[in-house]
Amino acid sequence: MIKSLKDSLKIFFLYSKFSWKTTFQMRIGVLFFMLGKIFRFIFFFFLIYLIFMRTKMVAGYTMNQAIIFYLTFNIIDTASQILFREVYRFRPLVTSGNFDLVLLKPFHPFLRVLIGGVDFLDVFMLVPYLIFTFYLAVHIAGVSPLSLFLYFLLLCNALVIAMTFHIMVLALGILTTEVDHTILIYRDLTTLGRFPLEIYREPIRGLFTFLIPIGIMMSFPPYALFNILSWRLLAYSILASCILLLISLKLWNSALKKYQSWGG
Amino acid sequence: MFINLFIVFFLWNAVFLKNQHISYYNRTALLSYILFVNIISALVLGTRTSDVATQINDGTIMNYLVKPIKLFRHLATEDIADKFLNLGFVIFEVILILRFTGSAIFFPRNILLGSIFLLNGICISFFINLMLSFIAFWTTETSGPRFLYLMLVGFVAGSFFPLDLLPKPIYQMLLFSPFPYLFYLPAKIFLGVSGKQLIPYYFISLSWVLIFWRLTSLMWVKGNKSFSFWGR
Repeated sequence: MIKSLKDSLKIFFLYSKFSWKTTFQMRIGVLFFMLGKIFRFIFFFFLIYLIFMRTKMVAGYTMNQAIIFYLTFNIIDTASQILFREVYRFRPLVTSGNFDLVLLKPFHPFLRVLIGGVDFLDVFMLVPYLIFTFYLAVHIAGVSPLSLFLYFLLLCNALVIAMTFHIMVLALGILTTEVDHTILIYRDLTTLGRFPLEIYREPIRGLFTFLIPIGIMMSFPPYALFNILSWRLLAYSILASCILLLISLKLWNSALKKYQSWGG
Repeated sequence: MFINLFIVFFLWNAVFLKNQHISYYNRTALLSYILFVNIISALVLGTRTSDVATQINDGTIMNYLVKPIKLFRHLATEDIADKFLNLGFVIFEVILILRFTGSAIFFPRNILLGSIFLLNGICISFFINLMLSFIAFWTTETSGPRFLYLMLVGFVAGSFFPLDLLPKPIYQMLLFSPFPYLFYLPAKIFLGVSGKQLIPYYFISLSWVLIFWRLTSLMWVKGNKSFSFWGR
């Protein structure tokens, strides 16, 4: 078990090294993408500031709390981009039949098609998000070590949910050869969590909390930080991610059985 | 696009739950602005010119070069078709949001005047997009600059909030840039702004059209001279 984990880590680091080399082949592109990401972050941050210059509370939250929602969204979104970027490149593997070569290798295909293309540009973005969030969190009244722990636990839970979505996209990629649009829909939907879910009215809020668990991913960690998440909802969120993980693995396995090599 | 509209609409809607006015705007005016901007952005940003970068990189641009057609006119025609397709979708999205939320919005005013400004905005966007594609004459890395441009446009053109909510010095500085003429000013005119005060802004936007037209033509000529491709 430990040897297998060690081998997997070795392969993961090897693929990450390749990814680093590929990314920094295009230095001008790297510069512009980094600038774009930084601008996007600053602009949305400024939008929140602009709104709170004119009002004290939005949907019952103060500016600091709204910023924490925004940072949490960025942390989860960026971390899932770092880990699961390779999913965006899955379609050509299926349509060309090169996925056969991945399946033939003596390690789990997820090491290649799910986490085999770490996005290093996002690593540079993640660090300041984490530092800024931690700084703001300790400056908000009522943030205890327990709520900080629950916050990080729910961040991990959100990443598990993000992983399940990406596995489902991979499975759909095998079944339909459609990846790009599915992943874009997923990314678009997650942006709903950029601001507190309370800004949306019912039934949208319920839909995006319980049916499509964007709320569990993006809003529950800040709820835990502000001590407004009940234990029942905490248990529900962990249960939901476990169920989603099982469903996604089941879907992946059944998709693999239907894989016909070239052309999907 | 729809999700973006959805988020911005509900964000401002939430802001107005506890406020009657934000600066010059009441709830109806601001939500109308957001919806107008989204319709306008479908017309301004809808483009097929990004394909030109791919065509330069894979050499298929030569198919245009050998034909007796004017490339700019051909691309403009493609763009118009794309814009109308987008317009259809965005109107559907706006109707969906209005029906779902039951919100009232202003009926657009000064349609002719707004359309004149909008036309300038469309031209500015067309030429900037073409220039971004013509970068492919010198490098294959064209997606980075386009990504940065889209990030900039999203904010400094006023798609998330009216630019006059910004501090005055920043707002006035922005009016000298090409960005407010893409969405912000046409949307403001549709909201009811009119009069002689718009004349200088019209000339600024027209100047940007001419500047970008000239720059695009220059890039095209220079790019053609340095263009090389193998295997066709």
